[in-house]
Amino acid sequence: MITLKVKRQEEENVWYQEYEVEDRPGMTVLEALFYAQEKLDTSLTFRYACRGAVCGSCSMLINRIPRLACKMQISEMRKEPTNEGNLEVLITNKKTEIDNNVILIEPLPNLRVIRDLVVDMVPFYSLVEDIKPWLEMKENVPEKENLMDRDTQVKIEQYTNCILCALCHGSCPVAAKDKQYYGPAALAKAWRFYLDPRENEESKQERLAIVDSESGVWGCDTVYKCVAVCPKKVAPTLAINELRDRIEDKKEKGAK
Amino acid sequence: MISHDIIVIGGGLSGLRAAIELHDKGVDVAIISKVPPIRSHSGAAQGGINASLGKDDGWESHAFDTIKGSDYLADQDTVEILTKEAPDRVLEMEHWGTNFSRKEDGTIAQRPFGGAGFPRTCYAGDRTGHNLLHSLHEQVTKRNITVYKEWLVTRLVIDDNRCIGAIAINLFDSKLEIFKAKATVLATGGYGRIYKRSTNAMINKGHGISLAYRAGIPLQDMEFVQFHPTTLLGTNILITEGARGEGGYLYNKDHERFMKRYAESSMELAPRDIVARSIQQEIDEGRGFPEGYVELDITHLGKKLIEERLPGIRQISIDFAGIDPVEKPIPVQPGQHYSMGGVSSDKDGCTPANGLYAVGECACISVHGANRLGGNSLLDTVVFGRRAGVHAANYISTFEDPNDEILEDALESENKNISELMGDSGESYAYIKDSLRKNMQENVGVFRERERLEKAVDKIKELEVQARSLKVRTLSKQFNLELINAIELKGMLDLAHTIALGALVREESRGAHYRTDHLERDDANWMKHTLAYFTPEGPRLEYKDVTITTFQPQRRQY
Repeated sequence: MITLKVKRQEEENVWYQEYEVEDRPGMTVLEALFYAQEKLDTSLTFRYACRGAVCGSCSMLINRIPRLACKMQISEMRKEPTNEGNLEVLITNKKTEIDNNVILIEPLPNLRVIRDLVVDMVPFYSLVEDIKPWLEMKENVPEKENLMDRDTQVKIEQYTNCILCALCHGSCPVAAKDKQYYGPAALAKAWRFYLDPRENEESKQERLAIVDSESGVWGCDTVYKCVAVCPKKVAPTLAINELRDRIEDKKEKGAK
Repeated sequence: MISHDIIVIGGGLSGLRAAIELHDKGVDVAIISKVPPIRSHSGAAQGGINASLGKDDGWESHAFDTIKGSDYLADQDTVEILTKEAPDRVLEMEHWGTNFSRKEDGTIAQRPFGGAGFPRTCYAGDRTGHNLLHSLHEQVTKRNITVYKEWLVTRLVIDDNRCIGAIAINLFDSKLEIFKAKATVLATGGYGRIYKRSTNAMINKGHGISLAYRAGIPLQDMEFVQFHPTTLLGTNILITEGARGEGGYLYNKDHERFMKRYAESSMELAPRDIVARSIQQEIDEGRGFPEGYVELDITHLGKKLIEERLPGIRQISIDFAGIDPVEKPIPVQPGQHYSMGGVSSDKDGCTPANGLYAVGECACISVHGANRLGGNSLLDTVVFGRRAGVHAANYISTFEDPNDEILEDALESENKNISELMGDSGESYAYIKDSLRKNMQENVGVFRERERLEKAVDKIKELEVQARSLKVRTLSKQFNLELINAIELKGMLDLAHTIALGALVREESRGAHYRTDHLERDDANWMKHTLAYFTPEGPRLEYKDVTITTFQPQRRQY
């Protein structure tokens, strides 16, 4: 058996509820939540879709670390402490010497709770939309595909792998304080389009201007928490550093 | 009452593509989706999208492969459209920013796929669906198209054989609302979750298909259910056909490449129905591993190639099975994957009801016939999503405004249905759902026969009776999971009934429908599409002809 200790909330009421789940080999935290919802308490709620770590729906705080519930094995969770009482959002966990039979599950931080583990994702989506996350092609659209060399394709791929799960947003100390801060996902997306040779120069410069602010790349504390929690190895902080360099290069050139 | 010219139900690839087309034609279009579009199951597609881009390839050979793969049940006129329009749709996605993998010369890379005579599957690593979905979503965002996120449609409203909108429940407050529209596009995906073992997302319950069925629209060819040969042991997460396309081998427990006994020349790259049956037969005859699987070995491809072209399935194998495919073979077994059947619709997505369109996996157009080839479903979404948009934009100009009174009556009746669902005692959703999934897995699977199919139909009828006393205990208004699941359950039973009954009546083996008591394809009696109509007593079956233009049916060998 494993105990899920779930932070629940309905309107102003906040409480922790424990569910005793009969676990089995290979069971994930998401499957354990379904066990609790279907067999123990039908009122429990959370988001989910693919159960294969590709859709980004089931982001939550598991033992105080932002993670996808579908990706975490119960057997692994037994080997870590719950970090209950720790108010920090953590990025790594220690190993326990003896098995721990409790998993602490809380909603993703930095977004308002709607009920239980469901948070309001609208502010997160809006921040991403603010950086104009779409490709604006050059004027001469080729009849066939744009040619692209493999190295460039691979560089872009690191950033197109983003599934917009918002784990980075939940881990970010700047996003915690500043609701205007675009956040790691949006800024990584901005770099993804900057890298793309298909995009026209004007749109690149426009997006660069958008992120050249305290709400943008200059707001980042470069603590690399987003890099640590990303389930797709996207590395937003590296993107932010690159964007900062490009902005500074441009300003230097402008000054000359 | 919310009003738009056209509503698109579903925010996966086909829905987004339809919405873009409608918007660009100046139509006031909105998308309603039970999950935010980027969470749609389209994003889980791995291997690729087919298009005859190669110099030595052409739409004719793509069409031939598709039709042969379909075991001659596909309509050849719609396959012609699918394959002819493929290059334009793929290039369009490239122009919209999809980060396709590239060849040395910078053009879009293509890999071999099952049942294809040419390497024509374009891909973005093994995350093709994810890349396409995000590119289309970016284009929808650019156009500022309204998306009602996390709303579940509970009913289509039909007035005099014309669809005039829908009733939907807002997951944020459990309130029902009328969506008035001159036309409606269904793009709601498949129903994999009525099977115990499925690659599908947990949200894939076929709800949209059941809405059309309940509205009187026939479902076509529902007995044709694709079982993917290689799903990960345990979770049944998809392991792409691309793994075999890149050169992976299948081994039984005696380390024999057993495909040589089933498809001598195509081996691991025979179409899915054949490979799935071969694996199941190995397991059933004791040559699989004891837990019921065979091994998919890609270790010989080397770490570099795996990291470059199959990084997603490597990560999935590590995360969900604790196995790194660079070092060890992947344990795989067949699992439900795709629905060839669906809402009966034509080359423009038109269903028999005016103003109601169906595209993507929820539709049966029919381009996949009795067995879909890998790489053709992503193609299907963008080709027919766009075409439905073109047709619907023209259609609405000829119609006057829908009748408000009928919409209001529908809302009232849905409100009554929901309040009747609430209560303390009665059957639970989980019990009926689990029984249904077990029943479909055991009795309507890869191998089928009369006795088991009869048992399946009886069980479904029994569950339908139990579902009548289904009650929802949870009173919370916000994200009431129990309520949403209960609403979707009856639709799951509806679809299961059409699948099992269609399979029972069709006494032949064709594509994915394989009867161990009727081993041969029977063109004289069964070269026809099944149409299942809703009646309160269960599905009523009718049949219609298959369109054959160029390719005369032949015996299918690989």
